[in-house]
Amino acid sequence: MYLRSINLCRHYKRGTYIVKALDDVSAEAHRGEFLSIVGSSGSGKTTLLNLLAGLDTPTSGVVEFNGASLTGMSRRERSAYRAHKVGMVFQSFNLISHYTALQNVETALLFNDTSPKQRKMLAASMLEQLGLADRLTHRPADLSGGEQQRVALARAIVKKPEILFADEPTGNLDFENTSQIISLLKSLNSDGLTIVLVTHNLEMANTHSHRIIKMRWGKISEEDDMHSHEGTKQ
Amino acid sequence: MTVRDLIAVSTGNMWRMKFRAMLTMTGVLIAIAAFVSMISFGAGNQQYIEDQFNKLGLFSTLQVYPKEREKENSNEPDTVVFPPLDKAALERFTAIPGVNLVYPYDAFSVKVQYGDSLVDSKGQALPTAATRTKLFSVLEAGTGFESDSSKQAIISSELMKELGFDTARSAIGKRIVVSVRVSTIDSGLAHILVDKGETLLDRLKKIHFDSLFYSKYRGKVIRAEANEVARRFVNGFLNARKTVSDTLTICGVREHVRAGRLRIEPVIIPFETAALFSTSGLGESPTEIFSALTSGKLFSTPEDAGEKTFSRVTIDFDPKVPYTAIRDSVEKLGFRTFSFAAEFEEIQRAFLYFDLALGAIGLIALITASLGIVNTMVMSVNERKREIGVLKSLGADESEIRWLFLVEAGVIGVLGTSAGIAAGWGITRIVSAIAQHYMEQEGIPPIDLFALPLWLISIAMAVGVGVSLLAGFYPAARAARVDPVAALRNE
Repeated sequence: MYLRSINLCRHYKRGTYIVKALDDVSAEAHRGEFLSIVGSSGSGKTTLLNLLAGLDTPTSGVVEFNGASLTGMSRRERSAYRAHKVGMVFQSFNLISHYTALQNVETALLFNDTSPKQRKMLAASMLEQLGLADRLTHRPADLSGGEQQRVALARAIVKKPEILFADEPTGNLDFENTSQIISLLKSLNSDGLTIVLVTHNLEMANTHSHRIIKMRWGKISEEDDMHSHEGTKQ
Repeated sequence: MTVRDLIAVSTGNMWRMKFRAMLTMTGVLIAIAAFVSMISFGAGNQQYIEDQFNKLGLFSTLQVYPKEREKENSNEPDTVVFPPLDKAALERFTAIPGVNLVYPYDAFSVKVQYGDSLVDSKGQALPTAATRTKLFSVLEAGTGFESDSSKQAIISSELMKELGFDTARSAIGKRIVVSVRVSTIDSGLAHILVDKGETLLDRLKKIHFDSLFYSKYRGKVIRAEANEVARRFVNGFLNARKTVSDTLTICGVREHVRAGRLRIEPVIIPFETAALFSTSGLGESPTEIFSALTSGKLFSTPEDAGEKTFSRVTIDFDPKVPYTAIRDSVEKLGFRTFSFAAEFEEIQRAFLYFDLALGAIGLIALITASLGIVNTMVMSVNERKREIGVLKSLGADESEIRWLFLVEAGVIGVLGTSAGIAAGWGITRIVSAIAQHYMEQEGIPPIDLFALPLWLISIAMAVGVGVSLLAGFYPAARAARVDPVAALRNE
C-alpha cells in the first residue's frame, strides 16, 4: 500500500471536554491516484490531510508511507518527508506576503539541498509552465486569486513531490479560476502525481476523482470508487 | 538550509523591518559604546603604565635592600645576623645567571652652580655601563658617560631649567661646578678637646673629685659630661665642614623621574668621579650620619671604603629571564627585594577589578538593550507565525526555524556591536582630545588616557554578540515550537 492510515485518531482537549476531530480512521491512497476527501465543515477532512502530510501527529493510530510509519519517525525525519515527498496547497494560498512570486516558489527548494542558482532556475521555469512568466517579480498582493493559487501550486510541485495534498484549493476562487486549477491538478495527476484533494464540493470530486472518501463527525461515512482504476499504479 | 540561506533570509527580513531593526541595534550600539569607552579608559591607563615601565626597562630590573629585623611579630632569634649590602654582596649578585649588571644607589647632597645660578640638589654615582641600560639611556639630549672617571654629568630636565637652560640641547657641553660640603671626624674630635675657648681640662677642674664617692653626685657628673662630649662632637662635626668641588661637563639631559621606589637623582656622576665626594668625608645629610652611626662606620677612614655598605642596589637582568628566578636567588642570599614586574602584576590585578566594575556598568546597559532584542524578536515571531507554518509545511524542521531567528538576533548583535565599538572609540577620541588640550594648558605632558587593544575589541564583540544571541534564544525557541497546523488554519 502506498499511503495509508490505520485506526487514526486525533483528539483535542478543550477544557474538560475532548474533541474527537478524527476517530478511528483507516484509509488508503494508491500511487498515481486522484483521491478526494469530501465532507462538511468540521468533518475532520483537513485533520486527516494534515496527518497524512506529516504536518500533525495523531493521538493514536499509524500513518504509513511506502511501508514506513510516519508516526514512528523523528520530527527531523518527518520534516524531510515534507521537504522531499510532499507538496501542499491551501485554500488561502499561504504565500509569504513580502516575497515575490519567484521567491515564494524558491522557498520550497530551501529545504531540498538545491543550490541557489538551481533554485532560481527551477522556480522561474515552473512559474512559466503555469503561465506566470510575466508575474515573477510580483508580490502576492499584486496578483489575482487565481494567480496566487497558481504560484502556490508552483511552490508545491517545483520540488517534484510524490504526493500533492490540496486542501480546498478552489475554495476562494471563482468558476474560471477553479476550472483552471482543477485542470492543472488533472494534468499533474495524468503525469503520475498522486493527488489527495480535500473539498466540500461533492460534484467536483465526482467529476475528477478516481475515488472519494466521505467524512462525517471525524469518521469515514462512505467510500466510493468512482471510476475503474485503469491507468493508476497499485 | 545552508548558513548562506539562513543569513540571506534573516537579513532580508530585517531589511523589510529596517526601522524596527535599526532601533533595536541602536540599543546595542549605545550599550557597547558605553562598555568600550569605559573599559578603554582602564586599558589606556594600563597601557600607559606598561609603556612607561617598558621605556625605562623596569620589567628587567630588581631593587635589592639589606634585610632588617622586624620590630614586631618576628620569630627570628636576636642572634640572627643579616648580610650587609656591600661590595661582596654585589659580586654575589653578579654571579647569578641572567644578571647583566649590578650597581648601588649611592646618593649625596650637592650644590650645582652654572653662571649665577646655584641650586641645592642631590647627586648619584653611576657606573658607565648602567648609563647604557634602558633606565638611564633614554635621554632628551646628549649621551652617556665616556668612562667611569670622566668629568661628566647627566642632569635632569628639571635641574636643567633651574640652572637657566632653555632646551636640553643647549645644556649639552656646558660646564657646571658640583660641590659637596663634607664633615670630618677630626673636626668633631677637636671640638671635644676645645669648644668656644673652653678646654676639656677646664671642665675637669670644675668637678669635685672628693664628692665622686657619693653616687648621686657621681651619676649627675657622668650624665652632664657625656652630654657635653656629645654636644661638642656634633657641634664640631656639623659646623666645621669643608667644601669639595669639581667642574663637570653636562653630557646628557634626562627626563625627571621620581615615582615611588624609582628614585633617580637630578645629578648623575660617573662612579669613580663621584668617589671624590663620597670618600672625602660624610655629607651633611642627617641620614648619612645616622647610617654611619648605626652601621658602626662613623670613625672609619676613607681607606676603609671597601667595607662601604649601600642602602639599595639595582640589578639589571636579561629580559628573557623571569624576574622571579632572579628575585628568588637574591632573597636566598638573605636580602629584601622589590620588583617593578611584581608591582605591575599588582597594578594589573587592580585594573582587572577596575575594568570589571566598569564592565558591569556597561553590561547593565547591554542587558537593557537585550530586552529590546527580546521584544523585537517576540513581536517578529508573533507576526510571522503563518510564515513559520508555511516554512514548516515546506519541510523546515524546528532547528532550521530556531537558527533563522538566532541568526537574526546574531546579525543585530554583530551590526550593533561593530557600530558600538566604532562609536565608543569615537567618544574616547573626543574625550582624549579635550583631556590632552587641558593637560597642555596645565603644562602636563599630554598622554592618551584611552586605548582600544585587540582584546577589548574581542571582548566587546563576544559580549555584544553573546548577549544578543542569548536574547534571541527565547524568541527562537518560541518560533521553533509554532504549531504549523494552528498557524496555517484558515481565519
